[in-house]
Amino acid sequence: MKNRYRKQIIALVSVVILLTFQSVFGWMDVWASGSSASETLSGSALTGLFNGLKNFWNFTGFANFDIRNLIMIFVGLFFIFLAIKFDYEPLLLVPIGVGILIGNVPFLPGYKIGIYEDGSVMNYLYFGVKQGVYPPLIFLGLGAMTDFSSLISNPKLMILGAAAQIGIFATFLGAAAMGFSPQESGAIGIIGGADGPTAIFLSSKLAPHLMGAIAIAAYSYMALVPVIQPPIMKLIVPKKERLIRMKPPRAVSKTEKIVFPILGLLLTTFIAPSAMPLLGMLFFGNILKESGVTERLADTARNALINIVTILLGLTVGASTQADYFLTVDSLKIFGLGALSFMVATAGGLFFARLMNMFLKGENKINPLIGAAGVSAVPDSARVVQNEGLKNDPTNHLLMHAMGPNVSGVIGSAVGAGILLSFLM
Amino acid sequence: MILLNIDNQTLVITVVGWLIVFVALIVLIIVFNWVPRLLHLKIKKRSSSTIANHNSQVKGPKYISGDETAAIALALYLYFEEQHDEESNVITIKQIQRRYSPWSSKIYGVRNFTNNLK
Repeated sequence: MKNRYRKQIIALVSVVILLTFQSVFGWMDVWASGSSASETLSGSALTGLFNGLKNFWNFTGFANFDIRNLIMIFVGLFFIFLAIKFDYEPLLLVPIGVGILIGNVPFLPGYKIGIYEDGSVMNYLYFGVKQGVYPPLIFLGLGAMTDFSSLISNPKLMILGAAAQIGIFATFLGAAAMGFSPQESGAIGIIGGADGPTAIFLSSKLAPHLMGAIAIAAYSYMALVPVIQPPIMKLIVPKKERLIRMKPPRAVSKTEKIVFPILGLLLTTFIAPSAMPLLGMLFFGNILKESGVTERLADTARNALINIVTILLGLTVGASTQADYFLTVDSLKIFGLGALSFMVATAGGLFFARLMNMFLKGENKINPLIGAAGVSAVPDSARVVQNEGLKNDPTNHLLMHAMGPNVSGVIGSAVGAGILLSFLM
Repeated sequence: MILLNIDNQTLVITVVGWLIVFVALIVLIIVFNWVPRLLHLKIKKRSSSTIANHNSQVKGPKYISGDETAAIALALYLYFEEQHDEESNVITIKQIQRRYSPWSSKIYGVRNFTNNLK
C-alpha cells in the first residue's frame, strides 16, 4: 500500500520538476529575445530547452567519448587494482591510476580543462613534471630516508649498482635501432635505471613528448619487479650459489655516515655535473638525516614533503596519459623496450656478481642474488632478493646486503642520467 | 629493430657512458675503502695520546659487530619500552546521569530497518 503511494508521489514530483525546467528555460529564452511572453511562450520554451540540453550534451564526456579514452580508463583501473589487490607499489600506482582516470575523462577542448591546455589547474600542477621540479624533491626525501651504512660497511658492493646500469645503455642502443632519435633513445634508455624520478627528470629534458609513456613504463615495471626478477634470478644463478651466506656487515661510525654523503656529493657531481639536481638533493637529504642536528628538516623531507610531491607527481604523470597523446605506436615500442631494459639490468647485476665471486675468497664471497638489487627500484628489488634468498634457505637473510647495491643503483642511475644529459642536450 | 640504425655516436655514448658510471662508483669505492682507515688512524693517534697522559692502557674492540649492536639496541629498546608512569592502581567507576537530549539519542545513530519490513 505504502509502496504504491510512494511510486505515485515520485511520478508526480518528476512531472513537476520537468515542467519547472521547461518553464524556466522558456522564460529565459523569452527574456533574451525581448518578445511578448504570451506569444512565444510555448514555442521558444521548447527551443530553449532543447538548445540548453544540446549545449549541456556537447559538454558531457559522453558526447566527446572516444574508444581510446575507454582503453586508458581500463588501464587506470588496472593500476588501482594491482595496487590494492597485490600491494604493488600502492603509493605510486594509486595516484597514477586515478591520474589516468582524470586525464582520460573526455571533455570539450578549449575550456582550460585538460592537462595539456594552458591555464588549466592540471596544467599548473603538471609544470613541476614538465620542468623537472618534482624529481629532485623526491630525491631529497629519499636521501632523508636512506641509510647508507650497508654500502659504507662493504663498499665493493657498489660496483653491482654500476653493473646493473647496463640496462640503461642497452635500451639506449635498442631504441636507436628502432629508429628513435638519439635524444628520444636516451630518454627511453633511462627506464633501465628503474628509477621513476630519474626517468621523469631526464625525459622532461630530452624528449618531453614521450614523458608520459616513459614515466608510466618505468613505474609499471618497477611495480612488477617481484614478477620480472625471480625467473631471471633462477635462470642465471645456480642453486648452490643462491645458498651462499655472507658475513654480517660491520658497524659504521657516525663520522663515516656524515662523511659519506659529503664526499659522495662532491665526487659524483664533479664527474657528472648534469646529475647535480638529483644527486645534490639525494645527498643533501642524507646529510640532514645523518648530521643529527637537523632532525626537523629531515623529518619534513622524509614525510610531509615527499608525500606531497608523490601525490602531485603521481597524479599529473597519470593525467598526462591523455589517450590522444598517449596511445601511439611509439608508446607500445617504449613499453616493449622498458620490459627488455629491466630484464637486461637484472641479468647484468647477477652476471657481474658471479664474476666478482671468481675473485673473492672464503667468507668474502657474495651471494650473487644481491646483484639483482643493483637495478635500483628501491626497496622492491632488495625485498625480492631477500624473498628469493629465504626460499632457498629460510635462515639466510640477504636484505641488509642487498640494500648496498640497491642504493648504489640509485646513485648509478642518476650518474647515468647525467651522462646521457651531457652527451645529448 | 634495425641494427644499421645505430650510428657511431650512439655506440660511443653507450660504451663511454657505462664506463663513466663504473668510474664514478669505483672512485667512491676507493674513497670509502680508505675513509675508515683514515678515521681509524686519527682515533688511534688520539687514543695513544690519551694513554700517554693517563699512563694506562685501554683495551677494547676496534669495531662492534652488527649482532652485538642489534643485541644492545634490543636491550635498550625493551628497557625503555617497559618504563611506565607511576600509577595509583585504583579504578573508579562514576555513575553519571545525563538528561535526555535528541542530539545524543541512539535512535539517530542506528539504522532502523524494522519499519521497512512491515
